[in-house]
Amino acid sequence: MDNKPSLSQYFSSSEVPPASQFFDEIGSSPSDMIQSIYLGENEVNTTTTTNLFSQNVTTALTQQKMPQEMTFANVLPTVSGSTAVPAASLPDPSTFFDTIGPEPQIGTSKSGMATPAILTEAMDGLSIKNQAVDIEADRRRDAWIPTEEAKKTLLKAQSSPKGSFFPEREVLTMPGLVLEEELGDALQEVAVKYLGVSTAGSRGVVRADHVSRDEAGLRELLRTGYLRAAVNLTATLLAAAGQGVGRMHRPTKHTPRSLQLWLTRFAIMVRIKLHEPLLKEAEPFGDLSKPDMFYQFYPDTYENRTGSMAPFSLRLLIAELPGHVGKPEEAMDRLYTMLDVIQKMLSNLQQGKTEDGTGTITSEQDKVESIRLWTGRQTRVLHSIVNCAIALKDYRLASKILVSLQKQASSPAQKRALSSALCRLWLLAGHVKAAMVHLEDAREQRHHLCPTPDVREYVDLGLIDIAHGKYQEAANNFARAADQEPTNIMVANNLSVCLLYMGRLKEAISVLQKAINSDPERGLNEKLLINLCTLYELESSKTNEKKLNLLRMLCKHKSDTIPNVLECLKLG
Amino acid sequence: MDPKEVVDHLVALKVMRLTKPALVSPKIVTCDFRDLPGNILNNFLKDDATSVVQMETLAAGQFLLLPQSFGNIYLGETFSCYVCVHNETSQTVQSVSIKADLQTSSQRIPLSTQNQSPVMLDVDETLSDVIHHEVKDLGTHILVCEVTYMSNFNTLASFRKFFKFEVMKPLDVKTKFYNAESDDVFLEAQIQNITSGPITLEQVSLESSQHFSVKSLNDVEDSLSVFGYVTLLQAQESCQYLYRLTPKENTSTEIKLPVAAKNIGKLDIVWRSNLGEKGRLQTSQLQRITPDYGDIRLVYENIPSKVTVDEPFSFKCKIVNASERTLDLILKLRSIQGSSLLWCGISNRKLGPLEPGNVKNIELTALPINTGLHIITGVSLVDLFLKRTYDYDDLASVYVC
Repeated sequence: MDNKPSLSQYFSSSEVPPASQFFDEIGSSPSDMIQSIYLGENEVNTTTTTNLFSQNVTTALTQQKMPQEMTFANVLPTVSGSTAVPAASLPDPSTFFDTIGPEPQIGTSKSGMATPAILTEAMDGLSIKNQAVDIEADRRRDAWIPTEEAKKTLLKAQSSPKGSFFPEREVLTMPGLVLEEELGDALQEVAVKYLGVSTAGSRGVVRADHVSRDEAGLRELLRTGYLRAAVNLTATLLAAAGQGVGRMHRPTKHTPRSLQLWLTRFAIMVRIKLHEPLLKEAEPFGDLSKPDMFYQFYPDTYENRTGSMAPFSLRLLIAELPGHVGKPEEAMDRLYTMLDVIQKMLSNLQQGKTEDGTGTITSEQDKVESIRLWTGRQTRVLHSIVNCAIALKDYRLASKILVSLQKQASSPAQKRALSSALCRLWLLAGHVKAAMVHLEDAREQRHHLCPTPDVREYVDLGLIDIAHGKYQEAANNFARAADQEPTNIMVANNLSVCLLYMGRLKEAISVLQKAINSDPERGLNEKLLINLCTLYELESSKTNEKKLNLLRMLCKHKSDTIPNVLECLKLG
Repeated sequence: MDPKEVVDHLVALKVMRLTKPALVSPKIVTCDFRDLPGNILNNFLKDDATSVVQMETLAAGQFLLLPQSFGNIYLGETFSCYVCVHNETSQTVQSVSIKADLQTSSQRIPLSTQNQSPVMLDVDETLSDVIHHEVKDLGTHILVCEVTYMSNFNTLASFRKFFKFEVMKPLDVKTKFYNAESDDVFLEAQIQNITSGPITLEQVSLESSQHFSVKSLNDVEDSLSVFGYVTLLQAQESCQYLYRLTPKENTSTEIKLPVAAKNIGKLDIVWRSNLGEKGRLQTSQLQRITPDYGDIRLVYENIPSKVTVDEPFSFKCKIVNASERTLDLILKLRSIQGSSLLWCGISNRKLGPLEPGNVKNIELTALPINTGLHIITGVSLVDLFLKRTYDYDDLASVYVC
């Protein structure tokens, strides 16, 4: 590992157990992977911690209560990373896709919000238990029903004698890179332009050169937030896999690895809003329904393995894509197509068949696991549909889906979180009465979790006050929330917005500045910066120095994660 | 809304329209734990200050974002803006004051500001005010902000800034009247959302004029709206409200209705859009076309909806003198060729003198001879003075079975 002064310190090693130890222990006792960390909120009864974790990450958990009476058995397996793991301790990339060995928790020391069932159900893959190499787990995870057309080709592939199957061009997925130029570090570029080389140079730059040119290096770039460098590295790796620039529309060999690289690339491109090249590069994948996206297409290589070679996350991401470029109705169509397949698979499972309906499931546990996995993925897709509906301002549809999700929700915490979401949904629609009804529901459900109002409730109350134009009352509610979580950035931000509407611009500015200084890493948030710079511009016409101060802070505390620094800071 | 400043003043004026803030969420990108990025992207999402704990994948955030554009403004909404004067110099500036007016096509409205008296502004200090004004005119509005301060030469300096915006029409209201035989008036109001986004109709009510009492027919039991739980109107959508107006006693007896009874009342509409942004409109006095009854008004009452064939049935007939003179009338009952109803009783009956405004009630009996739905025909009144015959052939139907 490099010992550059920059980012290795940023993920301060003092807060992290020795990486090797951490990894080894997790690896040796797989069941201890199940963990969930609790920061603040009210979910005491759903929070748990393992002995392993509390010993190793004491610093990260010191402010939290550690409910000792938790029994391990009734806790859903959830994951939330809270340690930084150097790339060196990651599993060997070459074996990454073949083994289902333990994967270390990667993430910044900040992440560690409670992750009870709700998150688990939406971010399904987080919760797969550790198991030895497991054919069943593979089948569950990769399951997908090919379209009728793909089925025909797959049948041909399976039934042809070895070496005699030559697919038509039409059935092939032929991707290639479109984005040719290397992406520079966007924050760095802005810093050089506005602060000069010397100031900008103090950042830990050119991370890309210090990591290995493989998946481990890619994860390291991702983890440390050098997103554009990570995109560049995916390009290198994809080119090496024969899917580089100019390879579009040419037959190529897909592997789980190449598709994981595409997934990583697309996921980052969405985050940093590189929409135009992203759409072009995603186009050859279509809706991932070509037969060569399935293991059955390659009987020689994968023998009896079935299901989608393209990971579920890629399927979801590609379905959501139009939504990111202002065509949510298109995304919605694709998501409903996905939902249809998932519902078919769930119904197959209910009937004791495998997901794709071709075999029977013998083990009850296998069935239960799979239903859990796919119900979680179904929830995730439904959330995406709701998000599209919200983007389309189709609040009726969004509400309908949320209400149906709430009926299925198993825990009071989930029901409560959905009531709270419904409350905000109706506020967006201007239906304040409905919002209040849902807030009342949420309050009742909250009683099952904690006796007194928590941050979420105070914030929702404050939002309703804002809808009524009662900014003083709203500010009071946000202040109550801030009493409970003085470091909560969102609460500080909302208080600041309120203060502006009350005519207290100076205070609004100082609240935001304080929030940033108290927790620069979270506080230097894209949206918060937009708010702060809006206030700066309203206050005075001499805002440049203040904005540059923010830029300096960004250089100090953030890497290359914000897609549009100039827009956020309203510079230029 | 910030035009370029031409001259260098000691203070700067900034104005920002305060529409309701927005609720924002992060870019939601997730991966399965076993995908190449592992939990890294999931953790980015969880660590984002704009995501909602335990609902990270749902874009219904709690994080408020200030308005980033002027947006649209509609009639009936409240125009709010933040006016801020900032001392741009490194010395104190004396006697700073702001004055704001709103110029519409027809008038100039002074917008009240709290700080009317001039104040001293220290270095980097601001003088600010939040202005609210309910917009009552359509079309071009200009916000005129004038800042006055004591210049370095001890003279009063001032400058003005203009902010122009268009007020648009939010709703299209179409009304239809139906004058019922019973003297009730039914009003159907179709309200269309012509704003660019969805709105929620929070309240739609009819304030009737003094001549009527009103009953809203838009609720089912338990005061639940017929539109269900949701009275949300997407852009261009419309919905219909129905009201029944019953004339109050004193007006209903005067059959030659006074002109005032043309006035039905006013519709009062309150709606909300994004994060509760409120608007309120009242229509002008709605007027109906009063039915013209001529000299005589004839109304059937208590007609059974269903009668049995070959069995006589009775109903009432109310005759009202709507003219200015006393009428001398003869009632004729004709059994028209092919008609399925035969009249029982005396035709060419003299009804005697009927004073203006007075009512005569008579009972009629008919015998249905065929089944089916039949119009009651064959009733005529003859005005003996004018020698005029009035036929009432299409006033009611009866179902014979």
